[in-house]
Amino acid sequence: MDNGTSNSASENETITLKSCDGIEFHIDARIANRYTLLNNWNGGESACIPNVNGKVLEKVLEWCEHHINDPQLNCGDDDSRRRNTIIEEWDENFLSCDQDMLFEIILAANYLEIKPLLDLGCKTVANMMKSKSPEEIRSAFNIDNDYTPEEEEQFRKENEWAEDY
Amino acid sequence: MIKLPNECFSEIFYNLRADFKSLFSCLFVNRQWCRIVVPILWSEPTEYINNKKLIEMYLLALNPEEQTLLIPFKIILPNHSKLLFEYTSYTKSVGFDLTSGVIKWLNGEGYKINSDDIDERNVDKLISAVRCSLITMFIRTSKKLKYLTIHGNINKIIFKNLYTNTTLLDLSLNFDHFNSEEIKSSWF
Repeated sequence: MDNGTSNSASENETITLKSCDGIEFHIDARIANRYTLLNNWNGGESACIPNVNGKVLEKVLEWCEHHINDPQLNCGDDDSRRRNTIIEEWDENFLSCDQDMLFEIILAANYLEIKPLLDLGCKTVANMMKSKSPEEIRSAFNIDNDYTPEEEEQFRKENEWAEDY
Repeated sequence: MIKLPNECFSEIFYNLRADFKSLFSCLFVNRQWCRIVVPILWSEPTEYINNKKLIEMYLLALNPEEQTLLIPFKIILPNHSKLLFEYTSYTKSVGFDLTSGVIKWLNGEGYKINSDDIDERNVDKLISAVRCSLITMFIRTSKKLKYLTIHGNINKIIFKNLYTNTTLLDLSLNFDHFNSEEIKSSWF
């Protein structure tokens, strides 16, 4: 756990970020210090974050602000980062948005390398799949089945052990 | 409709890695999902599962050399058309449940291993032969094997192959009993 970088900016210092559709956000500099990629776009006037619109950036920054004092995990600690499957109540409420917004947040967190938010989004989607049939998942995520019946049959036999579990 | 890239789906499915039933459903959603789910589903099932159908799929991956280990025991191997994936190549961890899975498979196939009139030592040899052939196969086919737990005796082929394996991080050997004569006869 290393809080060194997040504390290097003082509490009153702010920086300006601009979304791809030109909306400006003035945020606590400690947030940008914590997530390196946000810091890259600190510049206000000319720099704007490509691929992330104002609506999504607002949500992402709201999350970052709420979690500003969380301890930071070591980068290499992938397993311990992902092993924790509990979602806090605030986070759960935060992500109980429509599916498009949830996917947009995941895309933005992936793009901006905000790992804890990416994990949280992925956990939320995983929970939506739990104990559902393939048909239910397909209709929840609007996906078409492209298996041939023969292929599906063979594939079912080869993976049957997992169904029994 | 927003589409997520495969790397995000990998992260999502990884959260379900010990929830085999949910992963099983995800397999059948479409082909894109299946290609992401298979490596996760098959990465460490023997940590959690002792299922004869799983062992049957593993036995299909034995090569002729590994099958030779089973000849003295007259074991009839399952028949199947070519598998859709090289499932065993995704194995990251072989766990404790492999042996109980082997016992269940032998039981299901009608090999008498629980009967009172059977010599216990022969039963041990039978279980050990199947287990050794499977472990040899995992070491050969897995490109990602990191953790290997072996419960019981192992043979010299396993040791020879372990020596050349470069991915293994953790090896745990558990012997029930240490019989030097038995080890000598299986090694030399």
